[in-house]
Amino acid sequence: MRVAITGHAVHVPGLSAADLPGSPAEPAAGPDEAHRVLGRKGLLAKEPATRLALCATQVALGLPAGRLTEPVAGAPGTAVVVASNLGNVATVCEVVDQVRTEGGRAVSPLVAPNASSNIIASSIALRFGFTGPNLMVCSGATAGLDAVRLGALLVRTGRTHRAVVVGVEPDDEIATRLCPGLRTAAAAVVLEPDGAGTAPALGMLTRARTRLDSTVDLPLETHGAAGVLGVAVAAALGTDQVVACGSDADSYAAMPVTGVRALVGVP
Amino acid sequence: MTVPASSPVAVTGTAMVTCLGDAGETFAALLSGATGVAPLSTLDSEALRVGYCYPIQDGAETQLRPSRWLADVVARAAGEAGLDPAAKRVAVVVGSGLRELRSVERWHADGAELTLPDLHFDAAVRAVLPGVTEVLTISNACSAGGYALAVGMDMLAQDEADAVIVAGTDTMTESMLAMIGRVGDEPTTHVAPFDTDRGGVLLGDGAVAVVIEPDGAEPLARIRSVGLSCDAFHETAPDRHGIAAAMRDAHGRAGLGPGDVGLVLAHGTGTALNDPTEAAALTEVFGTHTPPVTGIKGAVGHTSGGAALMSLVVAVDALRAGVVPAVTGLSAPIDEAAALEFVLGASAPLTARIAQVDAFGFGGVNAVTMVEV
Repeated sequence: MRVAITGHAVHVPGLSAADLPGSPAEPAAGPDEAHRVLGRKGLLAKEPATRLALCATQVALGLPAGRLTEPVAGAPGTAVVVASNLGNVATVCEVVDQVRTEGGRAVSPLVAPNASSNIIASSIALRFGFTGPNLMVCSGATAGLDAVRLGALLVRTGRTHRAVVVGVEPDDEIATRLCPGLRTAAAAVVLEPDGAGTAPALGMLTRARTRLDSTVDLPLETHGAAGVLGVAVAAALGTDQVVACGSDADSYAAMPVTGVRALVGVP
Repeated sequence: MTVPASSPVAVTGTAMVTCLGDAGETFAALLSGATGVAPLSTLDSEALRVGYCYPIQDGAETQLRPSRWLADVVARAAGEAGLDPAAKRVAVVVGSGLRELRSVERWHADGAELTLPDLHFDAAVRAVLPGVTEVLTISNACSAGGYALAVGMDMLAQDEADAVIVAGTDTMTESMLAMIGRVGDEPTTHVAPFDTDRGGVLLGDGAVAVVIEPDGAEPLARIRSVGLSCDAFHETAPDRHGIAAAMRDAHGRAGLGPGDVGLVLAHGTGTALNDPTEAAALTEVFGTHTPPVTGIKGAVGHTSGGAALMSLVVAVDALRAGVVPAVTGLSAPIDEAAALEFVLGASAPLTARIAQVDAFGFGGVNAVTMVEV
């Protein structure tokens, strides 16, 4: 089965479509301005990475800005796969600081859900009503393409009719100490079985211990978000591309994205 | 959409480490009614408002303990299965609720060493099995191991691997203990699943690995299916409909009905919300046919990413041995569970071939496994 990319969004705060294909026309909102995309409801105590992931999802699904006014079409059974390594490390460290200086009673119960690493994936499911398989992928520098591959696997095996795959990392002080040069970024792609052949399609993942080259130019260090960001940019370009991500420590992964025009005449 | 049928896969190796010891020691302890609960001694239990836990007591706390436990069980399970990563494509899928976040905490607050790749488990696995094709870390809270098993089955079904080592590993984090102490009513001394006097959940240390391969002759057991769902209902509260949906998904994929199930390993966390919700979902799905129900968290605590696969290993042991351990910590079941046939007081003989293993996680992520011997 071919798996098509039927929706995509690039959401790098401060960047517009002129800077990076797939971005919004105006510079993308930062975490503190996420209400411009999402409306104000439901953002209390949401971490920056969760806010940006929700923004990318909303745009990739083609939903208008603002709070959802009606159920999202096809939401029941939709799968969510999120790639992020550092989304909640700042919260975890802040909670420890609070416990040690003021005691556990000082910790806000509103923050409690953020102690669990799958907060981003479960927040997307909750906001959009996605009841399908819900996966949080934290596999380092290849997490983005690992997530795209797992989303495609869920579609190929019939576990879902649609998978929303999101990559996101924050750039708080804790995250950038662990990953110097990290730039906050989010991206989302929507994967569905390819019936019509009119959308870009995913190839199979390859891995190597040494660097694999990407044809998509991503001039930012986005760590676990990079693979999804690359696929979203490739989908926006609409031409044949190879997306790669990884690091010497985590090894490398690459995945071809077949452009729209290349599909003409392909069975 | 209709539920596609799953092809059974063979379990060819297992290994486990809990507060009660290795897999054999843990099963023996479960049968005898022993528990691994102990005072929380490594952290400020007063500040955290958590007094007890189910720890692996292996000396002074160091960095990367979940990674070391994982490497140990992966190596032993691969050895039992006779896996040779040079001869076939061996993939590894690790489920972990809290990854190496305890090491992040000690790095941040105590000056311990940590590098970015330490956060996930690639290096830990490759240190003992250098030839594996990939190491995926999936962080799906308390059902991570069940989700990892589903991913592993799907990879075999799509011929993306020849064998998959599915694993789970976790230790307690200071931040998660703080949250448990913050949202709980009163500090609890032990986990009492489905009991009227249950006081909430306590965390446990541990790791577990299960090798799955395409079905073959005389495996340890066969995984018939893993059903998945997400409640999309509430961040922390479980939802009966989402849980029942995962059970029905698992039954449907395996081509089984409730009447085929001879044993249930419940999620049973001893919390105010999980236990009545799970009991209601089991009652809804099984109706008047109620197989024996047991659970292990009263003995080993809530081991998060390892929980689903530890229950699976215990289910396989019980089915193969023909004896099922009682629910440690349960004496007076809650009213919501009146229709369920708990194994109470002492272990009991069992003549069953198929077990259901429940795992439900924070954020409403549910994974239900059907296993056959």
